[in-house]
Amino acid sequence: MARFGLKQFKQGWQQQLRVIHALMIRELTTRYGRENIGFLWIMAEPLLFAGLVAIIWRFWKGPQEHGISIIAFVVTGYIPITLFRHGVARSASIFTANSSLMYHRQIKILDFVVVRFIIEFLGGMMAYVFIATILIAFDEFPVPADPGLLIAGWTLYALFSFSLCLIIAPVSEMSEVVEKLIPVTTYIMIPVSGLFTLASWLAPGPREYLLLSPFVNGMEMMRKGIWGDEITAYYNIWNPIGCSAVAAIIGLVLCRRIRRTLTVE
Amino acid sequence: MIVCQNIFKSYKHGGGTKRVLNDVNFTVQQGDRIALLGRNGAGKTTLIKLIGGVEMPTSGKVVRKMSVSWPLGFAGGFQGSLTGYDNARFIARIYGCDYDGLRAYVEDFTELGRQLKAPVKTYSSGMRARLAFALSLAIEFDCYLIDEIILVGDQNFQRKCHYELFEKRGDRSLIVASHSNEFVKAYCNRALVIHGGRATPYDDVNEAVEIYDKL
Repeated sequence: MARFGLKQFKQGWQQQLRVIHALMIRELTTRYGRENIGFLWIMAEPLLFAGLVAIIWRFWKGPQEHGISIIAFVVTGYIPITLFRHGVARSASIFTANSSLMYHRQIKILDFVVVRFIIEFLGGMMAYVFIATILIAFDEFPVPADPGLLIAGWTLYALFSFSLCLIIAPVSEMSEVVEKLIPVTTYIMIPVSGLFTLASWLAPGPREYLLLSPFVNGMEMMRKGIWGDEITAYYNIWNPIGCSAVAAIIGLVLCRRIRRTLTVE
Repeated sequence: MIVCQNIFKSYKHGGGTKRVLNDVNFTVQQGDRIALLGRNGAGKTTLIKLIGGVEMPTSGKVVRKMSVSWPLGFAGGFQGSLTGYDNARFIARIYGCDYDGLRAYVEDFTELGRQLKAPVKTYSSGMRARLAFALSLAIEFDCYLIDEIILVGDQNFQRKCHYELFEKRGDRSLIVASHSNEFVKAYCNRALVIHGGRATPYDDVNEAVEIYDKL
């Protein structure tokens, strides 16, 4: 019986990998085509965003703030937030957009969310590595002091963003109002995303509130991983893990419920 | 075998609820060729979608104990902006079959030639039908779900379908929604008349067609 179960699991897993693989290729070809740099466009957006904003800040505020390079600070802030904002934007109405694929039973609606998020995740990571390498060469970016902590922070940040996508995807199908409110909400969330501030720059009172945000905890980890002893970071890894677990459970339940009522042309 | 148990399906729109299927029960055995008969809007396409797992019933369940194709119809199953080849490659990937073999079969069956390099949204409904049939025949299902589309093809296509579906694969099951009485009488051995949300099964196809004509 146990062996049978394992075999089934293996088959299911292989099927899942096949579907994810096929959907990724399909998504990349429909979104970016095969012209010019093709799928490398997935890193172009976060790259341009972080790069251009960093340059603006550099001229606006000078080379350093609180003793750390402003370009590096803005880049480390903008790439994660682009992952979050694009992930959420791509999740809105995702089931309607992909409805013709529901004709194939082995494709589950969760696969759509997973695939689009993986693309944003890989694009963000590639952009991060690319821009950091260039900036390190120009001495504008420190060599990460603790790459493990940087990766852990990025993973937790992404995990929480993904859990939110699991909620946004079904909710945007239930209500058009929600879909319309998404861009403004993600914009308003910027101050509590840890983008512009390190927790140590704040007074202890506001800092406590800021650290309730899972994004800030992830961001602090990433920045501690980059600057190491140059900065003081405040974080608790259980905050993003716990928030992600709660959001993911809500999201999965909503996805399961919405599947029953989805109308496919 | 496919078993549909107490299937209800309602759609919500504009504040109201429309019940399309009302307690539908039936069983499809291996080799059954079932015609779904009903007027426009009776729920034939809805039932086919539920059997194919494209949509879920509001209550009740569909038990599939054989492999069932995706519904072959005018819509769905393809990505319009991708070419015929890209769609074939996608289908080969998700069903885990060899692309070269599938491509050869599709080229031979569809006779679309260079058109396969064009986006599917530029295809006529007859061309889509050819592609859909070619792909699903290449993958080999135990049961094929066909929504009207078999009749949009030309003579050549209908001959091919006849050979591939009824001669080479005579042992397969078929669930087909059709308004063509000749087709139903010629190929189906059972029928389901759908009217007012209810589905009534008939073992005599001629009797079912007569009742359907009077609706």
